Amino acid sequence: MSFFSMDHVPVLIVIIPLCGAALCPLLSRFGPSLGKRAVIAALFIAFIMSLVQLAYVIQSGEAVHYWLGGWRPPYGIEFVIDGVNGIIIVLVSFIGFMTALFSSPFEEASETSPFRSAGYYSILCFLVIGLLGLSSTGDAFNLYVFMEIVALSGYGLIAIGEEKGPIAAFRYLLTGTIGACAYLMGVGLLYSATGTLNMADLTLRLREVDNLPVIAVAMACIIVGFGIKMALFPLHGWQPAAHSYAHPAADPMIAGVMIKIPAYAMFRFFFCIFDSSLPMMKTVFTIIGIMAVLGILYGSLKALRYDKYNKILAYSSIGQVGYIALGFAIGNFYGIAGAVLHILSHAFMKTGLFYTSAAFKYRYGIHYTDQLGQVYRKMPVTCAALVVLSLSMIGLPPFAGFFSKWYLALGAIRNGQYLYVAVLIISSLLSAVYFFRIFERLFMDEKTVTEPDKTATSAVPAAPEAKRAKPEVPLRMLIPIGIAALMVIALGLGNSFIVNGILKTTVMGVL
Amino acid sequence: MTIISARPFLAVAVSLLAALLILTLGNRVRPNVREGITLSAAVIKAVLVFSMVPAVLSGKEYYFCLWEIVDGVSLAFRTDPVGMIFACVASGLWIVTSIYSIGYMRGHHEKNQTGYFAAFALCLSSAIGISFAANLVTFFIFYEMLTVATYPLVAHYRDDKAKASGRKYLAYTLISGQLFFAAIAAVYVIYGTCDFRAGGFIEPGSLSAGIMLLLFFLMIGGGAVKAGVMPLHGWLPSAMVAPTPVSALLHAVAVVKAGAFCVLRVVCYVFGPSAVSWCGGDKILAWLAVATILLSSFIAMRKDNLKARLAFSTVGQLSYIVLGISVLAPYSIAGAMFHIVAHAFLKITLFMCAGAIFVTAHLSEISTMGGLAKRMPVTCACFGLASLGIAGLPLLAGFVSKFNIIRGALMMGKPLFAAVLVAAALLALSYLIPVVRIFFGKSGGAENMASGADGVGVHEHTAHRDATPAMLIPIVITAAISLILGIMPDAGPHLYDLAIMAADAITGGGLIV
Repeated sequence: MSFFSMDHVPVLIVIIPLCGAALCPLLSRFGPSLGKRAVIAALFIAFIMSLVQLAYVIQSGEAVHYWLGGWRPPYGIEFVIDGVNGIIIVLVSFIGFMTALFSSPFEEASETSPFRSAGYYSILCFLVIGLLGLSSTGDAFNLYVFMEIVALSGYGLIAIGEEKGPIAAFRYLLTGTIGACAYLMGVGLLYSATGTLNMADLTLRLREVDNLPVIAVAMACIIVGFGIKMALFPLHGWQPAAHSYAHPAADPMIAGVMIKIPAYAMFRFFFCIFDSSLPMMKTVFTIIGIMAVLGILYGSLKALRYDKYNKILAYSSIGQVGYIALGFAIGNFYGIAGAVLHILSHAFMKTGLFYTSAAFKYRYGIHYTDQLGQVYRKMPVTCAALVVLSLSMIGLPPFAGFFSKWYLALGAIRNGQYLYVAVLIISSLLSAVYFFRIFERLFMDEKTVTEPDKTATSAVPAAPEAKRAKPEVPLRMLIPIGIAALMVIALGLGNSFIVNGILKTTVMGVL
Repeated sequence: MTIISARPFLAVAVSLLAALLILTLGNRVRPNVREGITLSAAVIKAVLVFSMVPAVLSGKEYYFCLWEIVDGVSLAFRTDPVGMIFACVASGLWIVTSIYSIGYMRGHHEKNQTGYFAAFALCLSSAIGISFAANLVTFFIFYEMLTVATYPLVAHYRDDKAKASGRKYLAYTLISGQLFFAAIAAVYVIYGTCDFRAGGFIEPGSLSAGIMLLLFFLMIGGGAVKAGVMPLHGWLPSAMVAPTPVSALLHAVAVVKAGAFCVLRVVCYVFGPSAVSWCGGDKILAWLAVATILLSSFIAMRKDNLKARLAFSTVGQLSYIVLGISVLAPYSIAGAMFHIVAHAFLKITLFMCAGAIFVTAHLSEISTMGGLAKRMPVTCACFGLASLGIAGLPLLAGFVSKFNIIRGALMMGKPLFAAVLVAAALLALSYLIPVVRIFFGKSGGAENMASGADGVGVHEHTAHRDATPAMLIPIVITAAISLILGIMPDAGPHLYDLAIMAADAITGGGLIV
């Protein structure tokens, strides 16, 4: 009945960008922008295919299983696409595509050789591939492989960033490796106990394992592994520097999406693989809950202390990742719906905010919020997006952030976990403090920045009229910024389509 | 009976659209075009709202459901009588305030007028959304929108003082808003519904009294902050730094009335009189209101700044509404609803007079205003009329509402509250009548007048004129309406009948024979 053969779509979504990433440096030999176009085209195709795949999953009402090379699980690698990761794959490919578009003005302005520039696109594309694979795979070891692809491309994108980029990348390298090792150890323990790596198979066989200490240690290892990757307190040490100093155009992807997908993987492990009837699960969720609560408070409080825009956003992410973990700790339908919704909405919010940060850097070289005075007069669209995204971060209706908070609060109250509700409220108020402080600076401070020389000199030969007609930043940047803001509104107003239409069947099946 | 119609939604949407248009086009078109957008949106909105009155009066309700906004709750609008009252007041006064704003902002050469008019339109959208919201979630969405949209108006001048009062405003409203949010979520989890119902949907005894009281106050807190019930009133006087039309909007129409309306919705449409009196919330709320009425009057007497005096008067007057609601008698609830109308017209007249005096004569302190009536006779006359109305003199709008609140209090056997209201009327006289006496007295502050005129040398030729028509006409209109509503409370859109209908539905009987 499908107009499109679904046979190979799950793997093509990963393979096509892989081809783009591999061909990119090669193509850049033949034309300076060919490589870039290959990457953007590949990501666009992946985005369209992911939409088709999601539509198929929703329509058929059951998960798609794809066996790589035709090898049956549990021996072969399997991709499993259900409602939850179907939508996350759409998210990753969409933001990946937008970010690749967004990057091009930066690469053109940086005056590096086309080959180096192609390298950048290639690494960015690898990051997207890793994240796509990480969300698609149904195999615990394959997940490790994709996690390493994400991490390696992440190191690269952070290292080519601003002056402290290499140091930040090195820190991330050290902690990230520990995280990967911890995860691998956890998977190794599970393998030793069950003899399988396929997630569905693991689920079945773990029911029969009575060696509980092994499972407990494996769980601890996996929490540490994902905790580091998603920057969950107190395993967040690498994150603020990495998010502050990464390549400004790739930062939206790193900050917005890279830390969310391990959170999704965590959901997979704790709700799909491990037996929720185990007596230790309650303890595990309590521990995750404590980490989430502390992370939310710590992230929000630390964000108050900084003037550097990226630092504020980075610490705010530590808090916001805590929301997601909090949803898992709550563990009922509303908690998980809130967490998944927050993965989506926070991805757009943080990506969008880092887009605005990059736009400020691109136009004026602004890094600190106290340089923002009156910038809104020159960059109205960017600043309007900033206001929408920030209000959503605070959790004010009718934007997306409010609704994920609503579900989290419903879940917490249903479980009688009133402390979690209090934490949500406190965090909202703290983020109101630091975001409204940005608004004050933006709208009320005296003007501090002037047009940098670079644009001034380039504008000299052009006629004054032509200069006026130019948008505040190139359209390739402005459109992603606008889309991020619109998506936050759309996700907010349309959240029940996602919660009822997509998440309900999948999540209810798991619980 | 329910009529499915998009009109309630359109009434909300029209000013939302206007806000977007003003924001995007505002700086590119001439100011007259920009203000044209405001005025046409205001007129369309008023027409939409008032066109629904006849059907509502005949016992029907318009209902419009957009889509499910969260799992199990829809973004829905319903025009019940009490929502109609607030919507009529807000949309009717928007036209008047818009005209006045144009006169004031231009007369005062204000900056950032585009953002100002956009935020104004957004505020009105939220106010109409609040009045027509059919459930708590829809209500909360617009309630928070109002909080955010008012912030740029409070902080309009963008200096340190404006920043400080903006922060204060946000601190009060956002904290109470978040607690309100938690309470809504809890009510939804416990009772499985968020839909407003006349008489409430919470059964007495369905929770322990302590928990219910806690939930009640978490919810009421959201309304009480915006309604300026002491001790949560702190933001209101300091929001006075905003331009006067904003004060008029904040203190007479949108924000504080939204707070009072929130109290009304929570007490009468969520908890219901029986559950509120079962958990004891009504008594605490009533005593808070009594304390606010008395204290604010004493503070108002000591303020020399005219706007500050009016601000504290607002604090007190809003607590009349809160007191009327918390007495829980049918007549007092109807009186409280009508006081939303009466106070809106009276207080907006006073604020617009204060603004006109400030722009025309450059005076803001009461002690310098001696003999002002010679110069601005119409403005001062309107001010005097509205002052008497605030005090609750018969034949003015304030009397009708106060009379009903007192009547309800006596019927419930609470003569003390009736006594407080009478005392408060005298107190209101004692802080507003001296102002009028100074206006009509001899030019005691002659040197002040001179310095006021000196300071603006350029305006010398206007020194003997009253305010400009753009400011004067709205003042006269609102003053006239307050008089008409006092003589015939049912004039125009039958707001008094609507109040009686709503109170009858809430208390389940007796008012409509």
